[in-house]
Amino acid sequence: MIADVARISRLRGNRSLNLLPSKALGASVVLIILVPLFGVFAGGFLSPHNLVNIALQSSILLLIALPMTLVILTEGLDLSSGALLSLCGVVLALLLVAGYSIPAATLAAMAVGLLFGILNGFCVANLGMPPFVVTLGTLGMAQGLALALADGNAVSGLGPEIEAFSAFRFFGLPVLVLIAIAAYGIFHLVLYRTTFGRYVIAVGGNAEALRLSGVSVRLVHGAVYAISGATAGFAALCMIARTNAGHPTIALGMEFDAIAAVVLGGTSFERGNGWLFGTVLGVLAIGVLRNGLNLIGVDTSLQLVAIGALVIAVLLVERLASERSA
Amino acid sequence: MLEESGSEGPVGIGSGVAGPDIGVLSAARADTPRPMMVLNGVSKSFGQMQALSQVDLEIYAGEVHVLLGENGAGKSTLIKTLAGIYAPDAGEILLDGNRLALGGPSDARRAGISVIHQELALVPHLTVEENIVLGREPRFLIPGSIDRRVQRETARRALELVGFDGDPRGKVANLTTARQQLVEIAKALAHRSRILVMDEPTASISERDATNLHAIIGDLKRRGVAIVFISHRMREVFELADRVTVLRDGRKILTTLPDATTPELLIKAMVGRSVGSFYQRLERFVAGEVILETRALCSAAGLVDMNIVVRSGEIVGLAGLVGSGRTEFARAVFGLDRRTGGDVLLHQLPLPSDPVRAVRSGIAFVPESRKEHGLALTKSVCDNLTLPALWKIFPHGFRSRRRAAGVARGLIERLRIATRSTRQPVRTLSGGNQQKVVIGKWLPIEGNRRLIIIDEPTRGIDVGAKAEILKLIEGLAAEGCGILMISSELPEVVGFCDRVYVLQSGTVRGELSGAHLTEEAIMKLAVHHDS
Repeated sequence: MIADVARISRLRGNRSLNLLPSKALGASVVLIILVPLFGVFAGGFLSPHNLVNIALQSSILLLIALPMTLVILTEGLDLSSGALLSLCGVVLALLLVAGYSIPAATLAAMAVGLLFGILNGFCVANLGMPPFVVTLGTLGMAQGLALALADGNAVSGLGPEIEAFSAFRFFGLPVLVLIAIAAYGIFHLVLYRTTFGRYVIAVGGNAEALRLSGVSVRLVHGAVYAISGATAGFAALCMIARTNAGHPTIALGMEFDAIAAVVLGGTSFERGNGWLFGTVLGVLAIGVLRNGLNLIGVDTSLQLVAIGALVIAVLLVERLASERSA
Repeated sequence: MLEESGSEGPVGIGSGVAGPDIGVLSAARADTPRPMMVLNGVSKSFGQMQALSQVDLEIYAGEVHVLLGENGAGKSTLIKTLAGIYAPDAGEILLDGNRLALGGPSDARRAGISVIHQELALVPHLTVEENIVLGREPRFLIPGSIDRRVQRETARRALELVGFDGDPRGKVANLTTARQQLVEIAKALAHRSRILVMDEPTASISERDATNLHAIIGDLKRRGVAIVFISHRMREVFELADRVTVLRDGRKILTTLPDATTPELLIKAMVGRSVGSFYQRLERFVAGEVILETRALCSAAGLVDMNIVVRSGEIVGLAGLVGSGRTEFARAVFGLDRRTGGDVLLHQLPLPSDPVRAVRSGIAFVPESRKEHGLALTKSVCDNLTLPALWKIFPHGFRSRRRAAGVARGLIERLRIATRSTRQPVRTLSGGNQQKVVIGKWLPIEGNRRLIIIDEPTRGIDVGAKAEILKLIEGLAAEGCGILMISSELPEVVGFCDRVYVLQSGTVRGELSGAHLTEEAIMKLAVHHDS
């Protein structure tokens, strides 16, 4: 049956939408095993309310994981996106409290994210610094700024507009889910239908080939981090809508979940080998895992252990599989 | 096409001139067809090394021009100059009679010059079509978008020219090397290249794929594409070439027609240099018992049935072209590459594939690239000299600085390493002294009849230091060590080694010693004659 799917998608010639689960082995296995398991053992897991909850939770993570996929395709890493999300959330909340409109405050938050992203991109692409260290540095900066700006507390009292925004539904779909779907569409188009997307894959795959083709590798490489920063700024709007406040540590460690989702989704850290839709599956897998473990009473710290172990297990299986085929 | 056009075709100044006495002559052509590209006195040096000096070359439309030369003869530098990667220090490049200023690879591309390097420049996880249009994607309405129909059509036409039979919408990563090569050629053609430079394209593909490639090259020739081709397979050279140019030590030695020469003459032109100032052995030692013996050794890195014997007091050379498996053999013996078959016997006992065991059994491995694999550059002379022997000098695991410095001082004196103190960072030493450190660090692991593997010991160091290094190696042989020396310097191999194995394609092609050990004999075995 899988072979049929493969054949059909080949006939259609649509490779980027190839839904073969083998590409995102980790995420597929987690979803296929965990959904029925939690359905039986975790009370209320399959209730409409809970499923909406998972979708809302996942939509924010997806906004961080999509640009993370691009970064990882360039054989890089962005550790700062969680902290940036917190910082942008605080900025956004402060501006809303000060009476600015939602669009203006969101643009300002995105500008803050973009600035940090450009800093990351410049250091990695132009100065050749290791992404791990650079984004660890900006993680510290963004987290510290978030705490300082919010004075250590949540910024609340954001006014009625944001509540109206978060309550908005279209055909029964909450606005955050709509945003997440739209974001996936945009990233899909950018990655698979534009020259920029191709160059992103080429930066990780064979930067020399790209350079020899007369493309500015630095610009593409740096832009990926800038996009990651700006998207974190936009994700702050969703975060604020969901929590109705700007918490300076709300997204602490979200980069961990995002990286785990990308890996579970079948994107590898080598040679620009990735699959954007796999990231969606990865995000859902993480969402299901966390939500289900919550319901059966496993606390947050042990959830981290589970996700971490899962990521390593997936990498291990991939390594063994690639050794066998080599 | 050109051959048929009689007097207008590529004609030598007369077959008489291109006879057995091949000095510095070049096959001139009748004046009518103007060369597509002309190199006039192109020179390029890197620091002290003159990589190219005064090279003249003419390339005509519709010809296959083969470049020959041993390792380091300047072929790669010449190619990179054509590709715009290196700017020549002197001389000029003319294309259609106009001076060409190549500021970078994209300038060369624009001028219609495409280079297919041995490491293919393709993006593995893009499709064949996407790779072909990379950097020149056809635009669809707005900038940054891609017209996939035009892309498909462009790719299809280019792929047709090279007879590519794979899936144009499959990822390049899933293709064989031969097919990837075709994709690269198609990419060059899609960019309207008029000059196609190929660096040993048949070195890593099968015989059948090579035949296919030859057919495609013939086809491109008929379309008027000029092809510059590097190869070490003699049969291929004579099958394909319209003209052959031999480079040696960065100079053009000759350009000739294949009909006017023989493989023997070409090999002579490749190696024939004056042997004079080279280090002469002080004495030859009587070879003692067998230290290393490999039986049908195969490795994951491509060795096939390697049978090699090294005896005590013997200096054994491993010769061969780059990629023939010399370093891979050393790595397989030392346990760095996975062995896939055969046995390695050290002093008649099986040696497991494990670098730790190799070191403890007294094997020393001096790698080819001292800066990358041989030295901790920022660390001191003392730290480097004691590193492989720390377990021997400090068997209990506690390091005494004074004891280490004592060992280092002894070695500095013995090897006459020019350093201010034991604490000087090795990065600040000269190349020759660095090389002494890389060899010297193995000496504290004492022992009789050790196996010492040295990869390119005299590369990049000056003549005086060369002699000292070779003398040091000879001294180790005198003590009863067995020396396995990998070297690309043919005069050095011939003058210095007792016995030489010549490798080609990962296996031993021949063993030479005594009067049979000559540069010509080595080259004859090292290049592909048959298949």
